[in-house]
Amino acid sequence: MTERPQKPSALQRNLLFVAVGAVFLWAVIGVGIRWDRLLNLPERLLDIFGRMFLPPDWSFLPTAAEAMVESLAMAWVGTIIGAALSLPMGFLAARNVSGGALSTFARMILNAIRAVPELILAIVVFVPVAGLGPMAGALAIGVHSIGTLGKLTSEAIESIDPGPVEAARASGAGLVAQQRWSVLPQVLPEIAAFWLYRFEINLRAAAVLGIVGAGGIGALLANTLTYRRWDSAGMTVLVVIVGTIIVDQISGWVRRRIIEGSDGQPRAGDEAIADPSRTADVAS
Amino acid sequence: MTKPAPAAPTTRRPSKPRPSLLLPLGLVAGVIFTLWAAWTIHFDVARIAANWDRGITIIGEVLDVDWSFFPRTVEPMIQTFQIAIIAAIVGCAVALPFAFIASRVTAFNRWSMTLDRWVLNVIRALPDLLYAMIFVAALSVGPTAGILALIFFNLGVMAKLLSETVDAVDTGPMEAAQAAGATHVQTVRSSVLPQVLPNYVSFALYIFELNIRASTVIGLTGAGGIGVLLGAQLARFNFPQIGMIIVEIFVVVLLIELASNALRRRLV
Repeated sequence: MTERPQKPSALQRNLLFVAVGAVFLWAVIGVGIRWDRLLNLPERLLDIFGRMFLPPDWSFLPTAAEAMVESLAMAWVGTIIGAALSLPMGFLAARNVSGGALSTFARMILNAIRAVPELILAIVVFVPVAGLGPMAGALAIGVHSIGTLGKLTSEAIESIDPGPVEAARASGAGLVAQQRWSVLPQVLPEIAAFWLYRFEINLRAAAVLGIVGAGGIGALLANTLTYRRWDSAGMTVLVVIVGTIIVDQISGWVRRRIIEGSDGQPRAGDEAIADPSRTADVAS
Repeated sequence: MTKPAPAAPTTRRPSKPRPSLLLPLGLVAGVIFTLWAAWTIHFDVARIAANWDRGITIIGEVLDVDWSFFPRTVEPMIQTFQIAIIAAIVGCAVALPFAFIASRVTAFNRWSMTLDRWVLNVIRALPDLLYAMIFVAALSVGPTAGILALIFFNLGVMAKLLSETVDAVDTGPMEAAQAAGATHVQTVRSSVLPQVLPNYVSFALYIFELNIRASTVIGLTGAGGIGVLLGAQLARFNFPQIGMIIVEIFVVVLLIELASNALRRRLV
């Protein structure tokens, strides 16, 4: 008769729970939540919800839709800028392409770019330089996207099959020709899918940049909320939701088509895009 | 005498794969869409030239960081951390049932799965700052609005990431649990949850990182944290003070990302 194995020690897990609980308590006590207000929160939210959506201000639909289209255009131009600039940065940052101090330097630049939110880029760089309006927003989105897309591009390049590169070198290809004919074809489907995914994220950023004067539907929502025009605000929120979901569905379909090809089978080596923790990185 | 070289293999060069018509069509559509988008937002490089002097002056003032402003930023930055911690923990906890109901592997039934997925799609369609604007308008300014906004945002992100992870679990242990007579909830608890737990913790760290980034700017709507201070300085055009706040956000975000990456690498 075999003995039942001993239960593994739960000490480490319990310690972790206690630590997280303690930090949580510190935050709840320190942040100064108004508990008296929290009690009538559900009632208050239902009231506002009713004013916003029951019914929304349908006459506001054309105005909101036009602003959402502006956000969409901002997000697209920003993504194109980000994609165009992140591609060379990705090659520079990939250790198997540039290597040494150059790739370390390129990585540092990408990390630094990622640490500055779009809104801050808009406030201190692009609204001053490009003036108020959607162009400033598109530039802010574009520059911020370089950070994430560049990092993902370099990681995709680092995980390629080195065989084709060797083959290209053996047949006399120069450094640029090697990248063009043996690296790029391997990584392009994955990177194009990242670009589209980033476009979905950028659409969400483009919907809020309006609060700092950088164009799009965010300014409309801020105005209607400031003047307590709840039903117009409700219409604006509905337009954001519907517009974003439609774009997500189309973009998601194209991404799947890029990764799977026409035969519906995933291409070899493209499992990465299906890995949630990789797609998570696109959002940061 | 050297041996004669073996005859060159006579296999034919394989024919080039025929290019699909979809690719050029897609490229043309992309170019047209880009031109339309640039035209819609009045993209014009000349605007940069016209604004250049003013812009450079402002950037110069921001770079002239007012370091003496640092003491006033400490308390709001602590509040930013508190907002991020509460929202990350609550949001990730609330996301658990949503994630399991949304995954094909662990859903109760078809219609609740579809409903859950649509609720998540709607929740994810709104960005964090839009939630913040709505909650600030509904509840007045303060960290409570920021916390609620981030909870909704986190719920959307975590439920999506986790349900995709659950889709890929090994279903063997589930069968074993069912064979031993476990109910559906017991099956999920005993055979799916342990499989996805490392990913869950890793995603939670990632969400905490996103929340730190978000709660630095969420305050621009009045939802608490260092963003409130940033908004106040922005309204008075105090650019050297804005510079101090940005340096601080930059350093904090970089440090959190480093720490979170190190922890996540140990987990998965």
